[in-house]
Amino acid sequence: MRIVNILKWSIVIILIAIIAMVYRIFNPIHSMFFPKCPFFVITGFKCPGCGSQRAIHYLLNFDILKAINENVLLVLSIPYLFAGIVFESLLVPSDKILKWRKRLFGQRAIIIIVAIIVAFWIGRNLVTNDIN
Amino acid sequence: MENFNNQKPPKSWLVESILVTLFCCLPFGIAGIVNASRVESRFYAGDIDGANRASAEAKKWTMVSFFIGIAIAIIYFILVIAGVASAFKIAGAANAYS
Repeated sequence: MRIVNILKWSIVIILIAIIAMVYRIFNPIHSMFFPKCPFFVITGFKCPGCGSQRAIHYLLNFDILKAINENVLLVLSIPYLFAGIVFESLLVPSDKILKWRKRLFGQRAIIIIVAIIVAFWIGRNLVTNDIN
Repeated sequence: MENFNNQKPPKSWLVESILVTLFCCLPFGIAGIVNASRVESRFYAGDIDGANRASAEAKKWTMVSFFIGIAIAIIYFILVIAGVASAFKIAGAANAYS
């Protein structure tokens, strides 16, 4: 069982490394092999995730300003999501950690997150209409 | 009544839900986030069974969103390859006539 687990995680890590290499080398703007957002293709409006692939490309090339320009929500969410993974991976958290977990990832936090996503969704379509 | 503030709620799938919302462009990711919120509210209200059910729902919607995203990416890739192949064919035919 343990060997199966090690094998599984090795495959996952290798896959992520390959995908990261592809996204570092190729800019989704200049290559047609990256999937387009179905929501954008159908409606012409950007969704909250539009620009994520380009943002990842710029982040992997350490160009944070260009990444923010493509999808600021993705860039800002990275430290938060990383913290979430750390909190989730603690099997026996202390009371203090649980308190912070509730503050950062509890119900109120989730409602705020949904509000931010929806505001970003509407806002980015109001501010700019250029296809980039 | 028991105090649940010193226990860990079931996995809420919040991080995974946000990731699929940002990368798969799908409303199912939002369904995952809403269920993550239910996990938290039910757990701290003492409804452990309800929290576990919401956790399972959150997992389901996250997985649905993830696999639809993967499927769209694969179908898109196949279509692009097919399009490129047929474009080469047309170009090849045009060259044969010139």
